[in-house]
Amino acid sequence: MAQPKTTQTFLTGNGDAQRALIVVFLRGGADGLSLVPPLADDGYHRARPRIAIKPADAVKLDGFYGLNPLLRDLEPAWKDGALAVIHAVGSEDTTRSHFEAQDLMEHGGLAAGGWLGRFLRHRKGAAAGPLSAIALGRSLPECLRGAPAATAMTSLKDFSLDAPAKFIEQLGDLYTANPGALGIAGRDTLAALRRIDELRATDYKPAHGAEYAGDYFSQGLRQVAQLVKARVGLEAASVDLNGWDSHLSQGTVMDPEIVKLNKGLSAFYRDLGPLMATTTVVVMTEFGRRVEENSAFGTDHGRASAMLVLGGGAKGGRVLGRWPGLTRDVLEGPGDLPVTTNYRDVLAPVLRRHKAGDLATVFPDFKLAPLDLYG
Amino acid sequence: MNVSRRKFLQAGSAAALAATAGCNRAPSDLLPFLKPASPDSPFQPPQSAAIDLVSHCINRLSFGARPGDYSRVRKLGATEAEAVAAYIEEQLDPDRIPDKLARWAVRRCETLDGSVGELFEYKERLLLEELTRGALLRAVFSERQLFEVMVQFWTDHFNIAPSKGDCRWLKTADDRDVIRRHAFGHFPAMLRASALSPAMLWYLDGRANRRRNADEKPNENYARELLELHTLGVHGGYSQQDVMEVARCLTGWTVRGTKESKFRLGKVEFNPHLHDKEAKTVLDQHIPAIPPNLSREEQERLGSGELDLVLDIIALHPATAKYLATKLCRRFIAEEAPAAAVAAVAEAFLKSSGNLRDTLRALFATPEFLAARGGKFKRPFHFITSALRATGAETDARRPLTEFLDRMGHAPFQYPTPDGYPEEAAPWMGTLLWRWNFAVAFGENKIKGTKLDTKALKLRADGEAGLLAHLLGRKPSEEELRASTESGAPLSLALASPAFQRF
Repeated sequence: MAQPKTTQTFLTGNGDAQRALIVVFLRGGADGLSLVPPLADDGYHRARPRIAIKPADAVKLDGFYGLNPLLRDLEPAWKDGALAVIHAVGSEDTTRSHFEAQDLMEHGGLAAGGWLGRFLRHRKGAAAGPLSAIALGRSLPECLRGAPAATAMTSLKDFSLDAPAKFIEQLGDLYTANPGALGIAGRDTLAALRRIDELRATDYKPAHGAEYAGDYFSQGLRQVAQLVKARVGLEAASVDLNGWDSHLSQGTVMDPEIVKLNKGLSAFYRDLGPLMATTTVVVMTEFGRRVEENSAFGTDHGRASAMLVLGGGAKGGRVLGRWPGLTRDVLEGPGDLPVTTNYRDVLAPVLRRHKAGDLATVFPDFKLAPLDLYG
Repeated sequence: MNVSRRKFLQAGSAAALAATAGCNRAPSDLLPFLKPASPDSPFQPPQSAAIDLVSHCINRLSFGARPGDYSRVRKLGATEAEAVAAYIEEQLDPDRIPDKLARWAVRRCETLDGSVGELFEYKERLLLEELTRGALLRAVFSERQLFEVMVQFWTDHFNIAPSKGDCRWLKTADDRDVIRRHAFGHFPAMLRASALSPAMLWYLDGRANRRRNADEKPNENYARELLELHTLGVHGGYSQQDVMEVARCLTGWTVRGTKESKFRLGKVEFNPHLHDKEAKTVLDQHIPAIPPNLSREEQERLGSGELDLVLDIIALHPATAKYLATKLCRRFIAEEAPAAAVAAVAEAFLKSSGNLRDTLRALFATPEFLAARGGKFKRPFHFITSALRATGAETDARRPLTEFLDRMGHAPFQYPTPDGYPEEAAPWMGTLLWRWNFAVAFGENKIKGTKLDTKALKLRADGEAGLLAHLLGRKPSEEELRASTESGAPLSLALASPAFQRF
C-alpha cells in the first residue's frame, strides 16, 4: 500500500485556483415567502393574516422584498453585493412529496448520480483528491452520489482510526483488492483519513472576529471553512439544515432554523473574508409552502421557494427571478407560488464559474437558460 | 478439548453472562436453556469457497449467524435445500420458537410494557433508551430472527421519529401495538392500526386534520404519506387531488395531547364536528356526502367509517402489492429488485389478502432469492448486531455500544422523516470508518458493557481459518487469511473487511 502523501501533493483537486462550492440544503420544504417576504404584494398579507412578516419588522432589501428579521446578520453581505436572492425558484416536480422533490432536485432530474457528483466527475481537469467532496453529517446526500470521492463526516475530530499501522495496511490491501463501490469507498476513506490526520494537528481559529454558534449547522460550516483555508483540495461540500416542514405553527417550527441559518452563513462569510471571492455558498430547498396559511398557523407543501447565492463573485444585492404575483389566476394547483425560475438555471452559472465541464452532462434532458448571476 | 479447559471456559462464560446482565444473575431455570448457546462447544463453520445455500438463508433471514447456527440449520434436512426449507418454515412461525433468552434480556426494559396512559409517566429519554436497547437486544438474542428482521422492516416502513410532539411518549406503544403485533400478520390490519396509532396521528399531523367549514384547509401530511410511503408508492397512480380527498376523508380523527389535557392522554378519538361531511372521490371511487339531518351517532358512524372506506380502497390495491413487494425484494434479494420476484411476491400478497407470512414464503421460494448471495450491503445496525451474534458476545446494549450507531447515522428510532432509513447501500458508504473503529474497539474488548471471548471462540472454531469461515459465511480467500494474520488483530480485521460488510 502506498505511503501517506504530503498535503502539497494532494493539491491537485483544483490546485492554486481553488474554488469551493458549498451547498446548503434546507430539508423539509422551506417557506421562501417567510425567508424573503414579498412585502409590497398585498396578496401575501391577505393570504397570511396571522403569519405574514410585517413590513416594519423586515430587513429592507429593495422596494418590494424584505429579509426575514431573523436573517438580519446577512445584511452586510447584501450591502457588500455578495448576496443574491432568487425568488419563485423551484423544480418541475409537482408531487409535493419531500422525498420525490428532494430526490429529483438532488439528482438534477432523471439521471444516474447526483448533480454535484456529476459536476465533480466531469469538471475540467478533474483529478479529485480524497477531500474533494465532503458531506457534513452521517451519510452522503443524493446530490453527491457518483462523485469520484466523497466522505461523510460529522467533525474533523471524529475522523480517525485508532489502530496500529500494520492493521490499517492490511485493511487497505483488502479494500484495494475489492472491486466496485465498496472497494472505492474503502480506499477513499483511508485516503481521507490520512489527510485529516494532518489537519487535526493544527488548531483552528476563525478569522475577522467571526463567531460560529454551537449548533450542528454552524459547526459544520466551521469545519468547511477550516478545510477551505487549509487548501486540501476541497471542491464541494454539502451541509444540511433540517426541520423546515412547517405544517403546524410556522414560527415555532421555522424560527429556530432561520436563526441557525442566519448565524451560520454570516459567520462563514465573515470568517472567509477575501476567500469568499472564490467560495460560493448556495442555499436551496426542495419546494416552498402553500401561499395561504392553514388552520393550524402553518403552511402545507407548495411549489416555488427562494434560493440564496453567497459569494464566489456573484453580483449580489439583487433579487433575481420573475415575481409572478399572488393573484388566484397565477397560483398553481391548490394555491401555490408558481416556479418562474428552474433551480438548474441558478446552479448552472455557478457551476460554470466553478469550471464545470459539459453542463448538459450535469443536467441532462433539460434546456438550460442560465440566470445572469455574474453580469 | 480436555476437561479442565472445558470447565474453565464454562466458568468464564457464566461469569461474562452475569457481568453483563446488570446486577443479577441469570435465573436458574434459564441456565439449561442458555447452555446450547454457551461458548464452550466446538462448532462446524461453512466449508465451501462460495456462500452456500445454508449460509445464504441464515444471512438473509437473520441478523447474522451465531456460532453453531450453521450446523444446526444444515442438520434440519437431508439436503441443503431441505434444510433451508425447514429453516424458513421454522422462522415463519415464530410463536412456536421458544424465546426465553430474548425475553430475559429485555426484562429490565419495563417501559416497553407500559400502557398508553402509563407511558406519559416516564421520562421521555428513558423511553427512547429502552426502545433502542430493546431493539438491539432482541436483534442480537432472539431466536425469532426473521420476525425481528421484519420488525425492523416495518419500523422503517411506518417510520415515526419520537422527537416530534407526544410521539416521545407514544412511539413505545406504536412499536408494540402496531409494528410488533402485526409484523407477521395481515397488512390491512397493520395499516389500520398504524392509521389509528396515537403516535402516527402526532407524527404526521393527522390529529390536526380538520375541516369545520368550506374555508378551512385539511392537513394533508398523513394522507400524502399514507399513499406515497405506506401503500401505493409515489408512482402508484394517485393524484394531488386524491391526496386532498383522502385528507378530507380522515378529518376529525384526533388524539388527546399533553398540551390540551391532563386526562386520557394519547386516547384516539373521532370528532364528527371536525369532519368534512361533503362528498369525496378517492381513486375514482365515490364517497357520498353525510346528510346533515342525521343523528350525531349516525354522523359519527359514517364519518369515522370513511377511514375504513379509504383503507379498503388502498390496502390491497395492486399498486400497494407491487410497492411492498419491491421493498421486500430489495431487502431480501437485491437492491435492484428483480421484476420476476416482485411479480411473484405481489401476487402472493394479493392472493392471501395481505397475509405477510404467505407473502414472505413466496419471496423465499423465488429462484432470484436463492441465487442472490452475498451482494447486499449491511446497514450499520445489521453490521453491529451481526458482529455481536457472530462472536457470541454478551452486551447490555447501552450507551457505549449505541454510540457507534449514532456515529453511523443508524440509531434505532431516530430517522427524522417518514420514509425511514434507506435500504440501499450508497447512503451508508460513508460509514466505513466507524465500522472499522467498532471492529477494533470490539476486538480489543474496549466497549464497556459488551464482552467477547476471542480465545474461546477461536478454539471452538478450530483455529483462525475456521473462525474466518464462520465470520464470512464461507472459506476465506488466501488474501483474507494472510491479511488477517499479518494485521495482528485477526478478528477485528475480519469484522472490518469488505466481506463482513456484505450479507
